Amino acid sequence: MIKLVASLVLRASVVLTGTALATFALLWNAPGDPALAIALARYNAVVPVEVIDQVRAEAGLDGGFWSAFSGWITPLILGDLGQSSVTGRDVWPELVTAMSYTFPLALAGLLVGIAISVPLALLATQRPGGWLDRCAVALASIGAAIPAYWLGLLLILLFAVQLGWLPAMGARTPAHMLLPALTLGLGVAASLTRILRSGILEARGQHFLPAFRRRGVAASDISRHHVAPHVAVPVVTVFGLELAFLLEGAVMVEVIFSRPGLGSFLVSAIEARDFPKVQAVVILSAVLFVTINLLIDLLYRALDPRIGERDA
Amino acid sequence: MRSVIVLVTVFVLLALVGPWLAPHDPTQINIPNRLSPPNAEWLLGTDALGRDILSRLLHGARWSLGLAFLISVIGLAIGTVIGLVAAQGGKIADWIVMRTTDTFLAFPDLVAAVVIAGVLGAGTGSLIFALTITGWMRYARVARGIGLSLLNRGYVVQARLAGLSPVAIARWHYLPSLLPSLTVVWTGMFARAILSISALGFLGFGVQPPMPEWGTMLLDARIHMRSTPLQMIWPGLAVVTCVLAINLTGDALRDSLAEADQR
Repeated sequence: MIKLVASLVLRASVVLTGTALATFALLWNAPGDPALAIALARYNAVVPVEVIDQVRAEAGLDGGFWSAFSGWITPLILGDLGQSSVTGRDVWPELVTAMSYTFPLALAGLLVGIAISVPLALLATQRPGGWLDRCAVALASIGAAIPAYWLGLLLILLFAVQLGWLPAMGARTPAHMLLPALTLGLGVAASLTRILRSGILEARGQHFLPAFRRRGVAASDISRHHVAPHVAVPVVTVFGLELAFLLEGAVMVEVIFSRPGLGSFLVSAIEARDFPKVQAVVILSAVLFVTINLLIDLLYRALDPRIGERDA
Repeated sequence: MRSVIVLVTVFVLLALVGPWLAPHDPTQINIPNRLSPPNAEWLLGTDALGRDILSRLLHGARWSLGLAFLISVIGLAIGTVIGLVAAQGGKIADWIVMRTTDTFLAFPDLVAAVVIAGVLGAGTGSLIFALTITGWMRYARVARGIGLSLLNRGYVVQARLAGLSPVAIARWHYLPSLLPSLTVVWTGMFARAILSISALGFLGFGVQPPMPEWGTMLLDARIHMRSTPLQMIWPGLAVVTCVLAINLTGDALRDSLAEADQR
């Protein structure tokens, strides 16, 4: 077990180092002189060459790629994300503020998705191939094809513009959360319904279930002890994928609804060419992702001991 | 199924001949006629600059579908080669390739694509680069997985002992077995590419105005949502119908492959 965890952690740290390197290389090779960009953003006027050179030295950009990279990654490992190249303020507190908007939205979206997909999948699998089942499959297919930004705009059009029931822009009150969470949640519901449905059908089709039934085991006991554990593995897989979807969905949804959060943080940082902020968001999402995948890998082995036997 | 094939064919034809069907020039600005409701002359109305929405949709099909096709095919080629190198190249090559794949999978595609396209400067070139570099990993995983399972099959071993080069083995023995699964992955990635292109367009990092692309059209339409809500419906509807048709084709393809496997 310890060996397994160690090898998974090692793999995760290799991936994270790769991500950091790839991100830094991309920004290093971005068109335009970064020192000039910082100087322009800071002084907002035509700047003499000496000032640009001074900025270059201050930002550690004069020693070539590797010295700049180590100048960035060493504090990063200790948890210091550096300062915004535009405002000069620490990135970390601003990132925390952005997360405090994005994470509740992602959680609300996930809850909406679960609240829709679980009952829908259970109803649909009551009679596979029945009209309810076919409706659920059709809805899920359409849901998977609707991009979040269009769905969001349609919801704004219906609930905010035509009916005037809900606020659309900003994040002042809890009611401002409803439309964004619904937009995000409907997308989650579409893919979750598909997976839950096929997972339940597959688990129900197992050969040993009729034997239990004939032996007189209660139907509720069969579904709790013999069907549910088999549905768990695909559901956990999809959960990992959903978290990815939630993060990128939240980015789009925040832009549509003009909500503060990681999405607006990232887009405005890119537009201002504030690279320390861009790097912070990329590293944050990579750390989140790798950690979640690590946990899922471990969870798999707890849920289905056969997985551990196949590949250790 | 037949209706889905018809739908996909219609879209492909539209992307190919759409520009000739368009009744107006998609970039012709006509301010006096701005935000016109649909009528006999302007079948779907005009946008904020008086440009014909129908013509922009038809021209946009070439951008949205054409670019998505290009991006998914480049990803397919790169991913397959990388996957086959991992399968045939021994343990070290496999480890390097798989950790690289994990690294590229370590962020949400769209976030990575936004960063890459945004940092390189908005434009069609950076769009293609951003979506290709975030879109090859699934092909590589599938190609590697199937490649590894074939590694010790009799006919592959024999080809190797007969002195066939790895490239020849890949071409004549791996590729035919890979193609069905890769085609299914490709349909999924094609649909995703359409969604990503319009998402980037909507964020302002994609195809640049005045070129008509469906996501960019949505971005324009969003501002005039209150006065002309219909303007916002058409580009979104185009994206959804395309993606739905391609996804359904992919599902049908996967089912028929699974059936063929069982026989």
